[in-house]
Formats: sequence, C-alpha cells, structure tokens
Amino acid sequence: MSGEIDAVYIYDEQNAPLVEHVYRSRPPSASAILPLYLAHAEPRPSLLYIPSASPPVTVFSTVESNLLFLAISEVDTEPLLALEFLHRVIDVLEDFVGAPLLSTKIQANYDVVAQLINEMCDGGIVCNTEPNALQEVVEVPGWMGKLLGGIGTSTPTLGSTNPLKQSLAAGSASQGPAIPWRRPGVRHTSNELYVDIIESLSVTMAPSGRLLSALVSGTIAFTAKISGVPDLLLSLSAPGGQHVLGRKIELPVFHPCVRLARWKERPGELSFIPPDGRFILAGYEVDLLPIDPDLDEAPSHMEKLFLPAIVDIRKSLGSSGSEFEVRLTLNPNFPGQSSSRPGATRSGSGTSTPSFLGGGGSGSSGPALEEVVVSVPISKSVRHITDMQASRGDAQFSPSSGLLEWRVPTGKDAGTLTGTATLRCGVSGYPSADDDLDDSVEDADEDANANLLQGYYEAPTSYNDASASTSKKTRSSDPSKRKKKKKKSTKKSSRSAALQPEDAEEDPVAATTPSPNPSIHKTPTPPLRSQSQDNAHLPAFFAPSSTSRTPRRTKAQVNASLMPNSASVSFSVRGWLPSGIKVESLNIDQRRSRGLGEGVKPYKGVKYLCVSNRGVERRC
Amino acid sequence: METISRISSMLETARELTLEAAQSAAINRISNTDYTSRTYSPAHIKKLLDSRHEREVLDGMRRVISLMYRSEPSLTFFSAVVKNVASANLEVKKLVYIYLVHHAEAEPDLALLSINAIQKSLTDSSPQVRTMALRTMSGIRVPVISQIVSLAIKRGCGDMSPHVRKAAALAIPKCYRLDPNTLPQLMGYLETLLGDSQYFVVGPAVAAFLDLCPDEIDIIHKHYRSLVKKLVDMDEWGQLATLRLLTFYARKCFPQRTQTVKRTAPGAFYDDEKQQQETQNDVEEYEVTVMDPDLELLLRACKVLLQSRNSAVIVSVVRCFLYLAPSEYISSAVGPLVALLRTPQDMQLIALYNIVAVALRVPKPFAKYTAHFLVHANDPPHIWRLKLEVLTILFPHCGKHWKGVIISELEHFSKDTDPELVRESVRAIGRCAQGDTSTAGMCLRILLGQISSPDGNLVSESLTVIRHLIQQDPASHKKTVLQLVKHLGSTTHPDARATIIWLVGEFAGIDPENNIAPDVLRILIKGFADEMEIVKQQTVLLGAKVYLHHLLQNPPKEQPEQPASSSFPEAPAKSQQEFHNEWTDNGNEEPQDAERVEEGEESREEHDGTEQKETEEATEDRITLLWRYILLLARYDTSYDLRDRARLYKSLLETPSSTQLANLLLLAPKPVPHAPSPSETRKDLLIGSATLVVGPDAGYHGLRGYTNLPDWVEPGQEPDPSLRIEDVKPDTSSDSTAMTAGDRLDKALREHKPTSIPSRNGPALPVDLVGKKTLDQWLQEEEEETETESETDSEEGETDSEEEETDSEEESGSEEEDDDSEEETDSETEAVHKEAQQLLG
Repeated sequence: MSGEIDAVYIYDEQNAPLVEHVYRSRPPSASAILPLYLAHAEPRPSLLYIPSASPPVTVFSTVESNLLFLAISEVDTEPLLALEFLHRVIDVLEDFVGAPLLSTKIQANYDVVAQLINEMCDGGIVCNTEPNALQEVVEVPGWMGKLLGGIGTSTPTLGSTNPLKQSLAAGSASQGPAIPWRRPGVRHTSNELYVDIIESLSVTMAPSGRLLSALVSGTIAFTAKISGVPDLLLSLSAPGGQHVLGRKIELPVFHPCVRLARWKERPGELSFIPPDGRFILAGYEVDLLPIDPDLDEAPSHMEKLFLPAIVDIRKSLGSSGSEFEVRLTLNPNFPGQSSSRPGATRSGSGTSTPSFLGGGGSGSSGPALEEVVVSVPISKSVRHITDMQASRGDAQFSPSSGLLEWRVPTGKDAGTLTGTATLRCGVSGYPSADDDLDDSVEDADEDANANLLQGYYEAPTSYNDASASTSKKTRSSDPSKRKKKKKKSTKKSSRSAALQPEDAEEDPVAATTPSPNPSIHKTPTPPLRSQSQDNAHLPAFFAPSSTSRTPRRTKAQVNASLMPNSASVSFSVRGWLPSGIKVESLNIDQRRSRGLGEGVKPYKGVKYLCVSNRGVERRC
Repeated sequence: METISRISSMLETARELTLEAAQSAAINRISNTDYTSRTYSPAHIKKLLDSRHEREVLDGMRRVISLMYRSEPSLTFFSAVVKNVASANLEVKKLVYIYLVHHAEAEPDLALLSINAIQKSLTDSSPQVRTMALRTMSGIRVPVISQIVSLAIKRGCGDMSPHVRKAAALAIPKCYRLDPNTLPQLMGYLETLLGDSQYFVVGPAVAAFLDLCPDEIDIIHKHYRSLVKKLVDMDEWGQLATLRLLTFYARKCFPQRTQTVKRTAPGAFYDDEKQQQETQNDVEEYEVTVMDPDLELLLRACKVLLQSRNSAVIVSVVRCFLYLAPSEYISSAVGPLVALLRTPQDMQLIALYNIVAVALRVPKPFAKYTAHFLVHANDPPHIWRLKLEVLTILFPHCGKHWKGVIISELEHFSKDTDPELVRESVRAIGRCAQGDTSTAGMCLRILLGQISSPDGNLVSESLTVIRHLIQQDPASHKKTVLQLVKHLGSTTHPDARATIIWLVGEFAGIDPENNIAPDVLRILIKGFADEMEIVKQQTVLLGAKVYLHHLLQNPPKEQPEQPASSSFPEAPAKSQQEFHNEWTDNGNEEPQDAERVEEGEESREEHDGTEQKETEEATEDRITLLWRYILLLARYDTSYDLRDRARLYKSLLETPSSTQLANLLLLAPKPVPHAPSPSETRKDLLIGSATLVVGPDAGYHGLRGYTNLPDWVEPGQEPDPSLRIEDVKPDTSSDSTAMTAGDRLDKALREHKPTSIPSRNGPALPVDLVGKKTLDQWLQEEEEETETESETDSEEGETDSEEEETDSEEESGSEEEDDDSEEETDSETEAVHKEAQQLLG
C-alpha cells in the first residue's frame, strides 16, 4: 500500500479528454482508460479496478460540475488519499480559474492548470495542496488578461504583482513557511470577514410519521480578506448555553489552522489565523434525535423537532388502487425567530398547526423557505404516470431517472406559504402477457386471498399491537394493505387524517406510551404458532393449493407493486439552522494580530443556510 | 469534511450558478473564438518562441502548453522550447520546465542539452528557482543523467531553504527509478533528510523512504521519536506517509507483551524483581498488555489527528489504533470514522468499506451511530449495500428499540421494487436472526410473512433464508416447517414450493410421532402433473425420504418377508437386467427392455398391492404404495432428468432390508449453512488500502504493491529499544550544529524582510523545541514575544534587538525557553478568560 498517483485525467462534459497529466511510470492514456471506465454500469463506484488495462490500474473518480476527474494508480494506493487529492485539485482549480468549473475555462487557462497540477503532486507523491502556498508559486490568472488574450497588451495585474510577489516568495522560501496555510504579506484594501454556516438536514420518518433519525451535518465556511496576520476568535452559541453547545456539536473536524486545545477547553470557541481567501473552517454534526443505542423501549418522549417541510404519501388509492397521493406540509413558522429557544413556540399542539398568522409573521427579514422540491422514486416497472394533479406547483416525471419531481413555488408570487399541498397521480405499468387481469375475477380472488393470507396479516398485527415499539413499520403498513379491500373508506380517512398534519407526528408517540410487554420478545412461540397448533396436522386450506397453478396476481396487487414506497423533500432555508447554532461573535485579537492597520474595522458578515437535499424522507 | 467547492455551490442558488456558468461560457466563447480566429500555425508559434521579447515567448509557451494538454502534437517545438530553458523570466521558465518533463523521454538527446542550463539554475540565488530546477532535473526521464541528479539531490539536501530540501526528498524516488544502482547514495541522503528539523521536509522524506526502501527500518530507529513529535505539525500528506510507515514500524519493533502483569517491561535490568513480581502475580493472574512507551507516544500523537479534515488521515489513524492499540483507542476513533459519512458520496463509499471492516472486528462502539447507517432513497446500490451490511453487523449490539427499527427498515426495503435491494434486505434479515438468536423468532415471522407476497423474487429469497435459519437450529423449528406447509397452499412460486418440500423431507424424521411428510406427499401427488419440474423433483425426493424413513422406522421384521418375498425374486433380476441394459445392450434396445421389464414389474406391484391390501394391514402399505405411485408418475414425465432421478432413487431403495447406502445418500446430515456478512472475506485485508475496496477481484495477493501488516515481532527478536533512545540526542544535537549555518543565513535573510515578520522565529527555534511543541503553541509564543518587544522597541529598532535576543536565547539553551513558553501560555489563558467574561457579560 502506498500513496502514489500515477496520472490525473480530466474529461469535459462530452467525456473528451481535457487535461492529461502523467506523474510517473506509463499508465494507460486518457483515451485508452475512458472506455474501460465507462464500461462499468452507472452509478460507477469511485474506485474501480481495471485489470484489463495494460498495466492493470485502479481508477479513482469523481464528478464535479459535469467534468469527470480520474486519478490513476498502478499500485495499491490509499483510496481516500487519491480522492482527497482529486477534491483538492477541484478546489484549487476553482480557486484559480473561477467557481463553476467549465471546460472552456480550463481550456483558456491551460498554462495555469498545468502549473497547478504539476505543483500539487511531484513524481506521484502529493506534496502541496494549500491554495495559499500555491498562490505563491503559480500566477493567478488575471481576469482582464484572460479576456484580452494576453498578447501584446500589457496586463496591469501581471506587471504590478509579479516582482513584488517574487520577492515575497523568495523571502518566505528561504526559511520555510511559518504558517503553511497563509501566504505572507497579504494586503487588502477593504478588509472583510464572512462566516457561512451551512447545515444539511437528513431526517428519516417511518410510515407512521414517527421520526427514526434526524441528523444535521454542518459546515462552517469562512472567507477572510484581511491584511497582515490576523488572529481571529469565532464564538458559536446554541440555545441553552455554552455547555449545551459542547454536547450538541459532535464529531467536529477542523482546518489545521484551528487551535484544538482552545476548542477542547471551551467548546464553541474557534481561535485561528485564517488562510487568505475562502476555506472550510470546520465541520460538525448534530444529532437532533439522540437515542441511546441500548434503549429497549421506544423513547417515550421525543424532543420536539421543527421541520419546515414534511411530506406524506398515501398509496393504492382510486378504484383500482392505481393512484397515490403526495402531501406536502409547509411550515415557514420558524422557531427561534421570536424567542431564542426553538420549540418554545411549539409548546402545545394548538400552536403547532400551521397558521396563516405565523406565515405572515415571517416576512422578508425572516428565514425564507426556498426551492421546495418533492421527489418520489418510481419503480422501473411503471410505464408512465397519468394525470398528475398538483394543487400547487407542477410535477414532472422523467422515466430515465425514475424520479417524479414536484416543484412547489415558495416565492412572493406564490401566495401563501403555509398549509398543505397535494399531488395526486395514477400509475400504469407495462401490460404483461401472462397476467390475465380479469376484473370480474378480482373480487372473488381477493376474498380468497384475504382468507389465505389471514394468518400472515393478522399475526404481525397482533404482534405489533403487543409490542408496538419494536416495529412501527409493520403496524402502520398493515392498515394500508387492508385498505386494498375497502378502498373508498380509506380515502376519506386519509383526508381527515391530513387535516391535522401535526397529529401524524405526535400520534404514534401517544400510541407507544403503553410500554411493550417484554414477555412477547422472549416467548419463543409467538401467537402465530399457538394458532397453528390447533390445526397442526393438516391445514384446512391446504387442499386447494395445488389445484390452481396459474399465478394469481390481481390488478390491485399489480398496482400495489407499482406504488412508490418513499418520498423525500428538498428545500433550502436561508437564515435558519436546524441545530440552532449561531455565531455569537467574531473578534480580531488585536494583541496577537499583526499587519492590520490601526483602527481598521473589517466588515463582518454572517450567513446561515439550511439545505436538505432530498433529506427529509418519508417511508411508506 | 465538505469540500469548499461543494459548499460554495450550495450557497449560490442554482439559478445564480447557472447564470454565472452561462455568462462565463459566453465570455469564454468570445475568448475562445478569439483563440481560434488567431489560430497559431506551428510556424507562428515557433516564431513567438524564438522572439526576443519575453512576453512573446511567454505567449508562445502558453500556446505550446495548451497544445500539449489538448494532446495535440507539440513535440515539434522541442528545440525551440529548449532554447528558452535559460530564460530569466520565471513564468517562461516554469512552462519550459513543464514541457521538458513531459517530452524529455521522446527527445533524450535534445533534453540533455538543457541539463546544463538547469544545473546552473540549481545554484540560483532564489530558492524557488533552485526548487524548480531540482524538481525538473529529477523529472527528466533520461537514465544517463542519474549521477548528475544524484549530485543535485546531495546539494539539495544541504540547501538552506526547506523548499529545496523538500524537492530533494521528492527527487529521491525519481532518481531511483532512473537508475536503481544509485540506491546506496540515495539512502544516505534520505537519512539526512529524515533527521531534518523541518516537519515540512520530513513528510516528503518519509514518503520517499516508503517508495525507496520500506523495509530498511534500521534507518528509522533514531528518527522514530522525532517523527512522532513532528506528526502533528506535518501537512496531511506527510502525516499519511508517516502513519503508514510507523504502523509497519511498530509491528516490527514493539513486541506484544500480553503476559500476566509485568510492570517492569521496559527495563530488562531487574531480573530478580521481575521474577518476584511474577510469583506474586500468579495469585492475581490477569492479563495486561504492556505497551512500549514509544508505542504509546505514537498512539497519543495520533489521537490529535482524529480531528483532521482529511478523511484519509482519519482512516490511517483508525488503522493504527486497530492494529496496534488496545481497544479503548479504537473506540475513540469510531466516531470520527463514522463522521466520514458526511463527505461527498465518492469518499463515503470508501469510508463505508473501512467502517464495515472495522465493525466486523469491533462492532460495539458503532452501535451509538446506528442512525447514520439508515439507507436513504438516493443512495446508489454500492452505498446501500454496505449500509445494510453495517446495520446487520450492529444489530446484535443495539437495544431493543433500534433492533426494532433495523428490522422494520429491512422489512420496508424487502418490499422495494429494486430486486437487488429486496434480495439484499431479505438476506440481511437472515443475518440479523443469525447474529442475535433472541430475535430470530421475530425475523422468521417477518420472513414467513413475505412468502405470500406476489413478488416471486422476494418469496424465493425469503424461503432460502428461512431454510438457512431452520437448518441452523432444526430442533426448535418443527413448528415452522408446519407453518411453511400451510403456505404451500398459497405459494405459487416454484422455487418457493420446492424449498418448502425439501424442508418437509429434511425434517420429516425428526419427530416421528408428528410426521406430516407422508400427508404432504399424498396431497402433493394429486397435483403432481401440474407442478413445475423443480417442484416435481423435490416431490420425488420427498417421496424417497418418506419411504426411507418408513423403512427405517419399521425395520423389516414381520414384514420383511412380505415385501421381500414379493420383490426379492424380482429385485436382483431386475437390477441385473438394468445393469445389463446399461452396460451391455445397445441404446436402442434399452428403453424397450426397461419398459417391458418395468411394466411387468408395475403390474406385478399392483397385483401385489391389491393382494396385500386384502391380506395385510393397510397402514403398512400406504407409504409403499405412495412411493410406487410416485415412481410411476415420474417414469412417464417428459423430463429425462426427473426420470433419471426417479430411477436412481428407485434402485437405491430397491431392497428394503439394505438401506445403508440410501441412508447415507438421502439422510446424511447437511452442513449447516452459515451466511456470513458479505464483507467477511475482506476482513483480513488492511484497513485503508485499495485492496480492501476491490476485494477478491484483486486476486489472491491483492493489488500490486499491497502488503498486509507484518505480525507482531516475537519478544526478544525486536531491535534494541536503546537504538531509539540513545541515538536521538546526539543526532539532534549534531543536526542542530549542522543546521546552524543554514539557520544563521536564514535568520540574516529574515531580518531584512519586515514583510514576513510572522514567520520570523519558526526555524530559528532550537531543534528539539520545535519538536516538542505544536505549531499552535509556538505561534502563540512568538506572538507574545513580539508583543513584549514592541513595548520596548520601535518597529525599526526591533530587528537589531531581536537578533541579539534570539542569539542569547540560543546560547542559554532550551530550558529557559521552555519556562518562558509556559509562563506565556498561562498569561495568555488568563487574558482569554477575561475576554470571554467580557463577551458573556
């Protein structure tokens, strides 16, 4: 095992080789390796071993803004090293040639790209990936210079910075970098500091609406445009005080500039000398729903969790069970805006129902819920989706990705934000030859099934009722199955259930409070077996079994198999974080900073963003 | 940790991004058309390269590099480019160097012309130029120059700029590849570089060592402690190389002592005392791993790295803890390992492979993070596969609540539309039941429930898993088989039916009083003609088993005469005949013969049967009758396979008195199937390696270059620990004396650069001090110093006084310095406290 990278290849949007850089030995060329790489079916894993290449190589891959990045190695290389390297290459390239990395940009700056890739890895050993250190050795392409083609015209940026930078570089190079991540002699005319905290929300809900997990992974991005060598202190706070914060922020990772000792001593305080420019200061996660792993019963009380958007799905509706309904509940009634404690406004169930009053409260200054998209993965056996009726927004189904996407507008022109929106769709599968779907037979058949399946459907239900805590899923999915037999009534009940969307969330909690009977877990013979003992010898319904050989799949069953079984919602909220973490203060330690002029007050900006990329997921 | 590019794209809304993309695309199109409109013919580019104006040359070089990266022919410019190798312009030089390295192999002779100019640059006053020159020279793949490169590296090793020394370290493996004969010289250089005071140089030196001679650990001994100390301050890539090296080193040098308590482990001097202790400890007798203090040093240093932003570093630390340390260390590393799931999907996959491998060894600490492994709808197959595996591994270690959740999750996914996901989740349920027997009942019930599903895939997979579960513990599953038999009525899937029938046959003999097999057989026979072939086969097999059990339970005592008398005369004859048919007769005759014979036999049997029914007790004969009937049915089946099987069983059970062979064949205890976790085969592969991810596809020995960790060295075989202890001090001291010249020059340079004040004291600190402190500490310290200085001195006067100060510091030695730093940090923390109070107040 080693840490060697033999080559880096970049391909453009059409998979044509864009950059080809070989560090050592003679790996297969970019055009030779591509077909071998593409031969693997999508989605391709990030590490592929291609024994058919000569010599056999491992290919590490990542895709960034439609460009394909490959790292090639002939020997066993630490995969994460190679992938981290690729991501650094991407970051550095973006830093130097501009944010969305486009093939045209790379083409226009081949000389810079060549220098960077050459500098970052020497003879297969990754050696210099700090953007600041690279800025010292590689010229940042002047935007003007690029525009003018750089010939004949003397580009002012190039001329003016060059000698200065060279002398600086010479100075620092002679003694080695004292702060490896910050280049010396930074000068900015306007001093600015920006903190961006981005939290990505990932919530899983059982079909009952009960929360299974709620994780937040946060990232603190920092932009420092400040002269000299500033020593900064960033203090975070969370509702509940500093000691809560320490417990709340789990598994943090830090940029090497952060003083770890300080954080350990006082969680929430980040003391650091920043690199110049934009960087990731720290990453952390927050478990919004901490559950003790050794817990034997369902937690009797759940921490109340506010979610700006909740999705629910009801399936097997309609006369033939071929329809399903997605229900989206938006709740822009963000907690923590009026008071510091999230959940304080949601003390009772009465206030928790989305109200128009609350919606009005969050005006332009409050957090804004944006880009709400509901995604429903659709089975491959669905041919197409018929009559999509959305009460708001519009829905699209792309058979290639197998995803039904329903965009719900939340802008100012979209009217009221709060409340529920529904999308009702019908599915139609491919007609299959061997399935004789005779509607007239269906009823009789279903009855027969009902009898036959009695043992199965009843047993788990009774089991679940006794110990509801252990498997909420079966319990709640059972009624949905029984719905097949009485379709019309369920529609009504689902409507009524939807009237109080919050109920869905709180109901199961109440239902599970009766503590499960532990004896059920231990008894080796479940109810099912005792029942079976009665007719142990010859089951009464055994006889008809072998008579009918044809697979009896009713239309309802076929349709049931076409139903989606999860839905997720993506959204982004500006100005609100699920964890409630806030930037308390950002100070420059004037005593320890240097090079910053007297009395210079840098502009400070803070931005919060909550992102859910199909993160709130509801099973059904 | 997320990458900055992903975070940036999150911050910009999609609209903004696309807008920008379109804009820049438009700009680029303009410049691109610009580019193409002024397409430079090779002649034009050559002209540019030959120009006297630097700017034109630079432009020409840019064009050439563009051509090179676009994989268009650029070799024709070689001579024109090489001419510019001595250019004074740094930008031109850089590009020329890149071009040279890329093309030198194709034009070795012309490339050699450039060597002189590069050599000249090796003595340039600018360290950046020296670095580039060394790097380029070693990168030129022309073996002839290996000695020149070796000399250049030698010079580089003694360079005062750490950048050049770093380049020298990186050049060593390149030189070795040029000419392996240079190895002894290179190892000498490497030894110097490994002892470098700069963490900045040591990292690449370690990487070079691993590339060059990873087994020569004798070089490492005296640098071991300084490497461990510098570990924290190195850059991530240096940390990775060092961790890789030290993990191997530790296995080779620190024997694992797990005897009964031996507290005097490090010192081998007091033999008497040790013996005494041993005799005392015999009473207590508990085992304690005695850790070598040097190993502990490494493990402590690693702990700090667990908050690294680099996922590879975290996995390396995990590897270090898993293979070297007692279990409490690995528990502390599990959290950071799980945190790697926050990384982009491509890294997530690799992280999951490592998580699975670690969890297979130490599952308990992962239980806390079960929620992280819930499968999401947008997880691609290779991710959810591993997540499901982790869930099943964690299953036995969770509380009942999470067990319930996991099982429900698996049940949910077993109803998915993706057949792969269905299969995996059903298997996962089976593994859960296997891992924790107390929940086996629950799992089995869920699986039984799946049998009636219309999804054939789900049904057959469930039944396979059920079969495994029953086979593992047949005694407690008698009722389950009964349960399954009931499902025989509703199950239409042939595989499922076949599995159930097989199970019935297999467990028919367990409980003779409650034997349902004959009844099942009887009912099955009714619909025999309509079954699929696989079901028919199993039915015939069941028949054979039932008949055999019947024969075994009713050992031919009273009866033997009856069937024997009736069939005995025929049996040998028939078998003879069959034998005869098989081996001597022609194929044409055979079927006729056989049929004739069997027909005759059949009629006789029927005749016998009726006779028996009249004369004997009906109960005895029913099963025999049943058996005969099956054989008859099978004989006229369209499938030759089935006919063959039937014939086999028939001849096997021909003589009721000799059932031994049949017993061996049909009722042999089946090996209990054990469904291991899919990654069980990778369990022994090294954490963090590519082979672990590739798995068995990589071949028996793994990917090229893969080596597993060596075993712990046998106690007594390890290198003398004093190699590490004693050599450190003279080494560093000699090092510092060797370094002082360079250091002084550095200092002199530094003092003339007020712009780079922050980095003043870095390399000037006494060597061992740099090692002892982390970067943070000495950053703080240096700032304190400057503060006190600025109080007394004006900024201009600072440099002079400081020179004196540092000099005097050096003279007075390191002890004072240590005290100073302690005081400083104290005062600093006080200040911080005050500050915080102000903030809070």
